[in-house]
Amino acid sequence: MMRICIWLLERLVPDDLAEHVIGDLVEGQHRGQLWILRQTIAALVLLRAPRQRGDRMIETFFGDMRLGARMLRRSPAFTATAVLTLGLSIGATTAIFSVVNPVLLRPLPYANPDRLAFVWERNRDGTPDNLGFQTIKDLGDRSTTLAQWAAIGSWNPTVGIDQPEVVDGDRVSWSYFRILGVAPAIGRDFLAEEDQPNHNLEVILSYALWQRKFGGDSSVVGRSIQVSGTPMTVIGVMPASFDNVVTTNAKIWRVLGYATSQPFACRTCHHLRMLAKLKPAVSARAATVELDGIFRTLVASYPTQYASVGASVVPAQEEITRDFRPALLALGGAVVLVLLIAIANVANLQLARSVRRNEELAIRSALGASRGRVTRQLLAEGLVLALLGGFAGVVVARLMLPVLVTQLPPALPRLGAIRFDAAGFGAILGIVLVLALALALAGARRDRGDLGESLRSGKRLSTGGHHLARSTFVVVEVGLATMLVLSATLVARSLLLLLSVNAGFDPSHLLTLQVSAIGPRYAGAANVLAYHKQLRDVIRAVPGVQSVALTNQVPLAGNVDMYGVLDPDNMPSNPELVPNGDRYVVSPEYFSTMHIPILRGRAYTEADAADTVNKVVLVSAALGERMWPGQNPIGHHVTFGGPQAPTRTVIGVVGNVKHRGLDATTTQQWYAPESQWLFADNTEAIVVRTTLEPSSLVQAVRRAINSVDPTLPISAVATMDQVIEQSTAQRRLALVLFSTFAIAALLLAIAGVYGVLAGNVAERTREIGLRSALGAGPGSIMRLIVSQGMRLAALGLVLGLVGSAGLTRFLRTFLFGVGENDVGARVLVVAVLSLVTLAACAIPASRAIRIDASEALRGD
Amino acid sequence: MLGELEQLVLLGVMRAGPDAYGVPVHDEIQRRASRDLTLGTIYKTLTRLEEKGMVTSRIGEPTAQRGGRRTRCYAVTPAGSRALQSSIRSLRRMASGLDVGLDPV
Repeated sequence: MMRICIWLLERLVPDDLAEHVIGDLVEGQHRGQLWILRQTIAALVLLRAPRQRGDRMIETFFGDMRLGARMLRRSPAFTATAVLTLGLSIGATTAIFSVVNPVLLRPLPYANPDRLAFVWERNRDGTPDNLGFQTIKDLGDRSTTLAQWAAIGSWNPTVGIDQPEVVDGDRVSWSYFRILGVAPAIGRDFLAEEDQPNHNLEVILSYALWQRKFGGDSSVVGRSIQVSGTPMTVIGVMPASFDNVVTTNAKIWRVLGYATSQPFACRTCHHLRMLAKLKPAVSARAATVELDGIFRTLVASYPTQYASVGASVVPAQEEITRDFRPALLALGGAVVLVLLIAIANVANLQLARSVRRNEELAIRSALGASRGRVTRQLLAEGLVLALLGGFAGVVVARLMLPVLVTQLPPALPRLGAIRFDAAGFGAILGIVLVLALALALAGARRDRGDLGESLRSGKRLSTGGHHLARSTFVVVEVGLATMLVLSATLVARSLLLLLSVNAGFDPSHLLTLQVSAIGPRYAGAANVLAYHKQLRDVIRAVPGVQSVALTNQVPLAGNVDMYGVLDPDNMPSNPELVPNGDRYVVSPEYFSTMHIPILRGRAYTEADAADTVNKVVLVSAALGERMWPGQNPIGHHVTFGGPQAPTRTVIGVVGNVKHRGLDATTTQQWYAPESQWLFADNTEAIVVRTTLEPSSLVQAVRRAINSVDPTLPISAVATMDQVIEQSTAQRRLALVLFSTFAIAALLLAIAGVYGVLAGNVAERTREIGLRSALGAGPGSIMRLIVSQGMRLAALGLVLGLVGSAGLTRFLRTFLFGVGENDVGARVLVVAVLSLVTLAACAIPASRAIRIDASEALRGD
Repeated sequence: MLGELEQLVLLGVMRAGPDAYGVPVHDEIQRRASRDLTLGTIYKTLTRLEEKGMVTSRIGEPTAQRGGRRTRCYAVTPAGSRALQSSIRSLRRMASGLDVGLDPV
């Protein structure tokens, strides 16, 4: 703001004054933006350098602006409405654009962002899949289109000894930061020789973690710190400006250090992502063709180790925005619709006003104002209005943006880069200006013919063209509002349907926490199991706790931990093609604690858990049906993670649980006792069924956990209701935004309908008076007005419903359980808009009925 | 006879003291006369008064709070204060004896 003002003053005010005025402005800038704007405008108008070429034009221009401003000041209600309408819509549009621009449009903040790409295995259905290290290495080494590659595996270490804390991080190939083109701010990057087994004890910290955990002490670089109970060396700290979009929440990186000889580096060990830098001038498409070919030869050589059919190279920008792109585009579209409605509404107001101003304009032109001058004055008014609206828009956007950012999903890439987008604002304001001027000009053009007649006839003129314009605006407004209200209705219905989905367990009165047993005391599985046993005992003793169970993961919390499920009695030719099931390694009380029904057979007991020879398992109904269609799963055998894994006997079938989300379609889970599993989970979730409000027991449960070992970190404390709320947070945000936009659109549309009808009644006073004098009853007069309003609304509704066919395509990500062509929602929208239009007709109609025939006819 | 703006600005310059420039003059007028003149109005009036020889100006020192820009300090000339005196005297004479709700001066 200040910069623009200074720029203008430097150019338009003579040098001997400009410096002093600007100095005063800088000195007084704490008085606020409004003050600065007012002073600048005044200085520009009053102190402008005289006698330049084109000065007369500028002078007339400023004169017009001043006149425009004065005219607007004379009708404060109109001005306030128009400025508020424009301000709110410009502000909202700017705020949404400020989010969309860095997230979707601006290039990634790395060197050569257009050459960064992700490589995925491609499943038979086209979906992408993670890769095993051996595959990544083969692809990377054989490729001629990739300049560099890196493997990335997610990692959640515990950092620190005194107050250990679970931190999100990544394990990455040594080349990772070199591919991104970002170097540590302090210390050094990983070296190639560190990226091998038994050497990989180096970590790099994010700036935020370094500040928070180590107080920004640069001597920590080169020092050894405790990471998940192992001493590791901090070799570097990333710069504060490093905006990590590969893993938005990663705060610590450890060099990967895999070798193909290691069991977890296998081709079927799909737990890594592959980042690559393409060679210059190589397109992602060309790289896909090459890597796809290499991948096919791998599949041909190792047919039993691949389920995927190809490889895809996806530009990094496209990849990281994939989850959010449709949602952001839908929001952007919605807010643009609101902006269009707002502009239509302001144009409408202006037209309505110009009718009443015909006389004023006629007098002006009769007194010698050229036609051009009158036009210019209308233009200037539009300009002043748009500028004021723009200013209000800046205020609205600045207020709205911080609130919006706190509501956005934390996984959104480039969240930190979101700030008020001045360029975007400029573009939006420019569009508004152009539209406002075009509309004002259209209004002026229409006025040309009848200026003189207006004076001669001595009455307010209304022409057919004028009505057509206003009616068109209203129809468009209603149409756009219909689209928005329909969108909001579909999103709302989706959320309601989603929340009524049975998650497969009872989420009320459930508290969940997570504990990490790390450090030398928990080196062996037996120690971890003993610790878990103690946890169950102490928490069960807390008053208000009904039951407690341990599990490696909690449904709906965003965990991914799946194993391929194999029937050793019916071995498929390619073991990679077997179904996956969510791994639940749980204590025996898990089912009763979560209220997951046992459909067949039985749950396992402590006795089963203690038996290390006869391994047992329970499967979800969906997994049972997938494995043994039409059969009773009980008695069948399964192995998890390959044919060599231990065989387990199915002893029970339990209800399906929504693991990935309430909207998930796959609900294949299996449940095994901890003591019979391949390893002990150091990080374990606890679910507590309470008789009291679960959040009231947090402190007591924490104390109980600390009584066993106070040094272990407790994290992810939440009630199950909160977990579910979190899992639907994005849809809630979408609903809030869409309903806000829809309500705004609806209000603007009603105002439009009302305005047209009210103006119409005022103009047709005599006609209506005549009608009632000729015997038309109040009923027929009311019908006259209402039917006019309803005709406009109906036309708008039809247009809106047709237009929404295109819009709802963008809504697909928000929809659940309702089709985008849902009829119910459309019926509802038609009903709402009809009622609202009827309400908008009420006041003008009642005014029309009250028109006194004799008075109306005597009027002129 | 001076115009109202000219009177206000001349008095504002006098009240703002030896270093009278835009902001202090603006604030004095706002505080005493409850008139929120814009800087543009003040400078325009000062320029006119300078042309009439009623104020003089000199370029002051650059300061940090002005972003390194210099002030332009105004002072009322003897001609200026004479014009002000005659202007106020005329007003007083016109008002004397009339009940315009002012204390007698």
